[in-house]
Amino acid sequence: MVLYALIAGVLIGLFYGFAALGLSLAFGVLRVVNIAHGDVIVLGSYLAYELSTQAHINPLFAIPIAVPLAVALGMAFYRFVAPSLGRSSDPEMVSLILFFGVSQVIEALATIGFSVNQDTLLTGPIGNGAVRILGQSFPNYYPAAAAVAVPGALLVMFYLYRSRLGLATRALMSSRADAMLSGIDVDRTSALSFGIALALAASAGALSVYVNGGVAPTDGPGLTTTAFAVVVIGGLGNPGGALVGGLVFGLAEQFAQSYEPNWAGLVPYVLLLAVMLVKPEGLLGRRVRYA
Amino acid sequence: MKVHRRLLGLAGVCAATGGVVAIAATQAQAGHTRASAASAPKQIVVGTLYASSGAYAADSIPQYDGVKFWVNQMNKQGGVYVAAYKKKIHVKLVAYNDQSSPTTAATLYSQLITQNHVNIMIPDFGSVLTAPAVSIAQDHHQLLFDATASGTVFFTPNNPYIVGAGIRNSAFWPDPLVQFLVAKHIKKIAILYDANDFDAAQAATLDHGLIAHGVKPVYYQSTATTTTTYGTLIDSIAATNPQAVIELGYNTNDIPFLNTLPSAGHKFNMVFTVFPGQLPQLFQQQVGTKNLGYTYTYATPPLVPYPKVNLGLNTAQFSRAFKAAFPSQAVDYPAMAGYGTALIAQEALNKATSFSQLAMRRAVGNASGKLTTAIGQFKITKDGEEEGEFLPVGQVFPSHGGTAIKVVYPTNLATTKAKYPAPKG
Repeated sequence: MVLYALIAGVLIGLFYGFAALGLSLAFGVLRVVNIAHGDVIVLGSYLAYELSTQAHINPLFAIPIAVPLAVALGMAFYRFVAPSLGRSSDPEMVSLILFFGVSQVIEALATIGFSVNQDTLLTGPIGNGAVRILGQSFPNYYPAAAAVAVPGALLVMFYLYRSRLGLATRALMSSRADAMLSGIDVDRTSALSFGIALALAASAGALSVYVNGGVAPTDGPGLTTTAFAVVVIGGLGNPGGALVGGLVFGLAEQFAQSYEPNWAGLVPYVLLLAVMLVKPEGLLGRRVRYA
Repeated sequence: MKVHRRLLGLAGVCAATGGVVAIAATQAQAGHTRASAASAPKQIVVGTLYASSGAYAADSIPQYDGVKFWVNQMNKQGGVYVAAYKKKIHVKLVAYNDQSSPTTAATLYSQLITQNHVNIMIPDFGSVLTAPAVSIAQDHHQLLFDATASGTVFFTPNNPYIVGAGIRNSAFWPDPLVQFLVAKHIKKIAILYDANDFDAAQAATLDHGLIAHGVKPVYYQSTATTTTTYGTLIDSIAATNPQAVIELGYNTNDIPFLNTLPSAGHKFNMVFTVFPGQLPQLFQQQVGTKNLGYTYTYATPPLVPYPKVNLGLNTAQFSRAFKAAFPSQAVDYPAMAGYGTALIAQEALNKATSFSQLAMRRAVGNASGKLTTAIGQFKITKDGEEEGEFLPVGQVFPSHGGTAIKVVYPTNLATTKAKYPAPKG
């Protein structure tokens, strides 16, 4: 049971980290908490579900379709709302209300467009069989989720640490004013970052439809809560911290499920409180935010 | 002495005034409750909630449709007969959408009572969404016709304002299941249940029933009702090598549980879940024949038909009429429970000699054990819990590209023999 919980915790934790990555990136660059993040994951799940059930295409193909769509949508959305936010005297609060509205609209549209019931995919991303790891049997979507999450996260890291745009993005994360002074096109970089954040959320949706047992229009707020807990544990605004937070969250949840299932929903959040008390900036908060 | 006489005089005046007020109040009350046809209301207001989205939508919408069906039936017949006014009165349905939120439901229940002044109140589906209604209704002296909340905690000796009119109290549900497990000599049983009144009551009955037969479950754990990830839980269960796995949850739990079982690489001789019998179409669609085949569930109407009824349509008649009225809606148990509950409210209006909530409660109490509707016998305990309905053990069999649920226990009701252990592969 220990080994199973450990492996499951790591695999599911990598998914949690990946699902939270976009939220962390958006906060790091724009200093806004996108509370519609979970709803974007839901849209990604529906794309995967429809691809699988209508076009009989592997649901993971939703990712290459969702990424350019989400980037374009995110950039357009940023261009549309940024001027209004910039004029506001309290942009953080306005953005919170704005994304709350977006969340409600997505949920309402999903309720109209899809079934009110939970939709479930009957076939796993790589068939229906179990996958054995170190002598333990796992649903095949556990390793599939991790197999998508790891390269996805690495790509984001590559973008952030090995590209000029990434350098500009990190400069924005560090100080928006300094970035402007050094000649960085803040609006373009911010818009692209927001687009990437949405793309990450939508990509996570293709996995979430498995990990969370299906998709329903009302799943968004719960997913946002989980993602928020993950990025706070890891360090708000630090994409690397999101992965660490995801691992901590996943391990806590899976160990609790093994030994005290009724506490499985509680333990990760107790851990969140503990992290906040001991290291309020999150496990990796200081290292990167001030780099 | 003079003071004393004055006090006596004052007391006399007070007593006389009080008496007059009391008589006037009694007359007013009588005028309100023991009413004549002339003072009858223009309509009987039936209030209910439904969830168009969220975790309970799949069950709530058909229950609401069942109530709507009854309202339409009544109005086609010129209204519902109200004994207190000795006439038929048109029925008006007031319904609000709680979106599966107990908090929203609490506000809307208050609104139904205080703003809409409903005469008949039917809470939303299940224990979670009914729970907020119980104390609100009691505080406002409004009788709740409970359709599908089966938690034992709702029914207490000091609360006459709730009556189980639809589903049987969930604490009684597993009785046939216990007998089935014992009859099959299944000794190693794992029970995973969700931490809510509905599932915890079933788990407790199952646990006590098995222990009474000398069988101690090898796994007995609760998990959060929000659980949808079951890989680790199934691995923990498998570690106890059970012959039977009983998962007691809502359909939002049962579906991912059943879907995770094969992909987790474990195969059990017997798997039991709660909702496939109530929502067979949904489970066929969301779980599929392969994962659903040979699992067990509670068999409910319309799978268990009641051809002889003395109130409303029988099971087959209801199924036909409901399908005609709601072509896109499957005829499932929540729809039947909504209809069955409304029938009990109809009985209350038909028989109550005064138009008060407690008079309706008394009328319903008097009808206990004498009525059979499309969902079975109506029989309540003195606290108002439904105990007449019987839920046999059903098993899901692959059939013509889909599945069919057949009763396998008790033997006098069984339509086929149980396939135990479940075929491998």
